[in-house]
Amino acid sequence: MMKNIYAWLDERLGFDDMYKMLLDRPEPHGNWWNTLGSASLFLFIMQGVTGIFLTVYYAPTPDHAYDSIQYIMNDVAFGWLIRGMHHWGASLMVFVVFIHMLRTFFSASYKYPRELTWMVGSVLFLLTLGMGFTGYLLPFNQRAYWATVVATNIGGVVPGIGPFILRALRGGTDVSALTLSRFFSAHIWMLPAALAGLIGLHLYLIMRHGESAYPDQDD
Amino acid sequence: MNDEMKKKINDKYEASIQNAERFWPDSIYKDLLVAFGLFILLIGLATFLGVHPEPKVDPTDATYVPRPEWYFLFLFEFLKYFPGQLEWVGAAVIPGILVGLLIFLPLYDKNPLRHNSKRKVALGIMSAIVSAIVILTLMASTIMTNMIAFILFLLLAGVLFFSLYKNPEKEIAWKKPALWVASFAFLALTGVTYQQTLAMAEPTEEVHVASSVPEKMSLGQDLYSIECVECHGPDGEGGEITVTAADGTEEKLPVKSISSNDEMYTRSDESFYEIISYGQPSLGMPPFGGAHGGELSPSELEYIVTFMRYTWDDRADVPEGAVTSAVPVLAEGEVPSYEVHVEPVVKRQCLSCHREGKENNNYLMEDYAGILNNGDNAPNVVAGDMDSILLQTIQGHEVEGVNGTIHVMPPNGKPIKDAYIDIFIRWVEAGMPETAEDASALAE
Repeated sequence: MMKNIYAWLDERLGFDDMYKMLLDRPEPHGNWWNTLGSASLFLFIMQGVTGIFLTVYYAPTPDHAYDSIQYIMNDVAFGWLIRGMHHWGASLMVFVVFIHMLRTFFSASYKYPRELTWMVGSVLFLLTLGMGFTGYLLPFNQRAYWATVVATNIGGVVPGIGPFILRALRGGTDVSALTLSRFFSAHIWMLPAALAGLIGLHLYLIMRHGESAYPDQDD
Repeated sequence: MNDEMKKKINDKYEASIQNAERFWPDSIYKDLLVAFGLFILLIGLATFLGVHPEPKVDPTDATYVPRPEWYFLFLFEFLKYFPGQLEWVGAAVIPGILVGLLIFLPLYDKNPLRHNSKRKVALGIMSAIVSAIVILTLMASTIMTNMIAFILFLLLAGVLFFSLYKNPEKEIAWKKPALWVASFAFLALTGVTYQQTLAMAEPTEEVHVASSVPEKMSLGQDLYSIECVECHGPDGEGGEITVTAADGTEEKLPVKSISSNDEMYTRSDESFYEIISYGQPSLGMPPFGGAHGGELSPSELEYIVTFMRYTWDDRADVPEGAVTSAVPVLAEGEVPSYEVHVEPVVKRQCLSCHREGKENNNYLMEDYAGILNNGDNAPNVVAGDMDSILLQTIQGHEVEGVNGTIHVMPPNGKPIKDAYIDIFIRWVEAGMPETAEDASALAE
């Protein structure tokens, strides 16, 4: 029975090809620093999963955002754990992605033929910071509110386009309900969509060129 | 890069993957182990550190100093060097250039050589930038976090030196840079921490944030005692206030009960919140909300409303563990103590006037020593002395003080409950014990 199901699926999906393409790839000798990329991916998935759970109860309006998080922390079963993991996962992800970037730099892995992998990767790093920036406002507490006021003000000092940046970020002249819904939308739809797409490209490029080898004296 | 160079690189790579590792299982195994470690770390952080609670948004509180998330601290610190007109240089130009340099690094770094010894300029520049980021972050963080960073660093350095010591023979490519980085980081951390210890910024005031109903009630009661008792009485029963009109004439206005069922059944929490925030100008009640010129934040207003609702509304479902009446009942023969009995009474009955900024002959009753010795008429209460000023005034007798007559307390014409007076009398009789242990020692 199981054999039949496997055979049926294999005929259509091609497990053998998948195994060869995805898993049985040859690689140069690596070390533990090479795990940071997959660790970043793991944290991205964790942030996605915990974030999706949080949206079940979170209400992105100034009147309810704070109370809905209080509710998640105190009344939802394991809500404190999900929120805590999402909160710390954000910090950890920024840290891991940054160290991953430094590793790539110090092992000179960004050179031919992996230039594009680096460029996509550094955009991924900036998007991760963007996730941190937009997510910071969502609890809508004192710290979140004022940090966003200050941060968006900084965007406003750019000569010429400053006032436009300020209005685009805030959705008006002040940090308001519109700012919150903008940041929420960016945090759960726009940035994750961009991240997911670029992560796909990043992974494709890694599979195409293979994991880089650590340089020796002759390189 | 010419085709010959490209071919050389590709051939070398082909050679390096011959008989080396396979993604499955060599890499996957390590990846899964690291992912599992991170998962455990996340659960640990969420469980043991949790998320620091913050108060509700208060857009009127412009004195609040916001701090960004730690990974933006370096930018925050960096901007301090670009004040006023120059801010846009630090905020947009320099970060913009750095971001461009980061993304397009492979396009302008044309050096095809990869070994560390052949990329000294690139490594030097990157190390300088990373060091600057780390130092700026340390400068902007609190001394506590730096202490933790310091300990973590010592641990890491220990591991590093242990592994170097274990293989003294083996040629390790990163030995030299690792030693450099470690010594540099050690100097930077020590320097910043030392400078911070010297500066030792005044400790920031910790705002207490309540999350559960009992916590909110207890904070709300404290606020109610200070802000509301003067006019509304300790149990919201109301009374009479004197209002001075703009032309200087004084007028007596009644204050109706706010704890009656009438009030509790007809007003929602939102309605209470708005009234406290906005005040009742025609009835002599000033605004308390920061949005209208008062001194309370939205969180604090909410605590007061929670206290009122759960204490006075007989339909409220008081959660377990909540203290509805903060003053414990005194048993027969029990000796009252300051911390268990007297302090709650003082909070409810006295503190709204006997605190900083009120007319009270400087008699501030905020702590044990203050109740005994503060003010122009000290000592206010002496162990065993039934004629102490405090005992006399709360029992309805006027006393001569250094600045004239000390009136009956409380001055609103509503005497303190007999049970509370009893607490004070028995406390003074027993010798005014401060803690519960002192009291039980005296009782034996």
